[in-house]
Amino acid sequence: MSEIVLETKALTKYYGDSLAVDHLDLKIPRGCICGFVGRNGAGKTTAIKLMLGLLQPTAGSSRLLGCDSSRLPPAIRQRIGYVTEGHRLFRWMSIAGLEKFQRAFFPNQWDDKFFADMIEYFDLPKKKKIKHLSNGQRAQVSLALALAPNPELLIMDDPTLGLDAAIRRQFLEGMIGLIMREGRTVLFSSHILGDVERVSERIVVIDKGVLRAYCSLEQFQEAVRKVIFTFADSVPNEVNIDGLLHCKRTEKQLELTLVGIDDEQIAEWARSVRAENYDIVKMNLEDQFIEFTAPANQKRLFKWEER
Amino acid sequence: MPLWIQILPGSDEPIYVQVTEQISEAIARGQLTSGDKLPAVRKLASELVINPNTVARAYSRLEQAGLVTTKTGSGTFVSDPKLRRSDAADINMLAERMDTLITRGLNLGMGEQDLRRLFESRLTKFSNKSNKRKEEK
Repeated sequence: MSEIVLETKALTKYYGDSLAVDHLDLKIPRGCICGFVGRNGAGKTTAIKLMLGLLQPTAGSSRLLGCDSSRLPPAIRQRIGYVTEGHRLFRWMSIAGLEKFQRAFFPNQWDDKFFADMIEYFDLPKKKKIKHLSNGQRAQVSLALALAPNPELLIMDDPTLGLDAAIRRQFLEGMIGLIMREGRTVLFSSHILGDVERVSERIVVIDKGVLRAYCSLEQFQEAVRKVIFTFADSVPNEVNIDGLLHCKRTEKQLELTLVGIDDEQIAEWARSVRAENYDIVKMNLEDQFIEFTAPANQKRLFKWEER
Repeated sequence: MPLWIQILPGSDEPIYVQVTEQISEAIARGQLTSGDKLPAVRKLASELVINPNTVARAYSRLEQAGLVTTKTGSGTFVSDPKLRRSDAADINMLAERMDTLITRGLNLGMGEQDLRRLFESRLTKFSNKSNKRKEEK
């Protein structure tokens, strides 16, 4: 397995009595794009701020590029890019002024040409002040600022929130472009599962501050499935099967959403409850995510071992 | 080579399956013929805006199926159909899929003749192109 660039160990954060991040254990290897998903209020932003050392954990620890997040020296910070939720930039600065300001933090690696090309590609006026830009334009500036220092590790907090399809696509292109360079890693949170599906190699699912899944996107897509069992006379009263997420019954049919159960286990269960036949139905990522994080399932924890 | 591949996020087919199937179909239809070079993994990933690993996974599935071969250093090429072999398991799988389609057809109230005609007409769409491909040689 390749080098770990982001690692959290039992990372925990309370705001007063309320638990925002609960014993988060993550290891993200160099060279992948990792989609970070969870419902609103699941703790994604808090987790990201803890990883970057912008918040102090209540317990546990986090390391970026081998350094403790709460004491990242400038030499390490220079290798990390961060895009804040809502693209908060200094409103009174012009694009050119902001570039100059930002470049100072990345003295050896700022790519002037790359930044200029992106601003031109986005058709943005360099002299214009941030406060006079639209939300989409501000996001574009923020993307150019994040990519210009060619970061080794790029962390983006819901970067495409509220953006139109074209600008969202530019963010995805930016991520793919970055990952093509040797040894670059991206972690980004998003609610747009189609975007996550497009570019991510791995996904992290958290819910109520708890890690629910961390695996390759393909493993997740294979793991969550719906199976419809048909019975000759009546549906069994009790459904006792591992990995059960959701159960819906009709007179003759039982519709189960299962996670991490292979074909053989399904066949075996069907035999044990004397189902007449069954049908495995594929689900799309959005449906999988919704059923996986439905309130009834919040106590379940699924993690897959590295393949 | 024209970029005919269309990615549909949110479908119940994972993206690597979409890429695999669309390239397989292009080969079956003769849009891609033996010896044609597939785009480099990174190039196709950039164009489709998908993860390069997804393209690599699709290419390796195509290779497992014997549809393409990868020559180290020079790229991935559509293989010679004469070198593709189908074993009993492949044919069995095909027969099962046909059974499913025939069942659906019959359940829709179609007769045997209707089904034969439909099969013929669909087949022509593929064979026109692959015949042309043979004539060119």
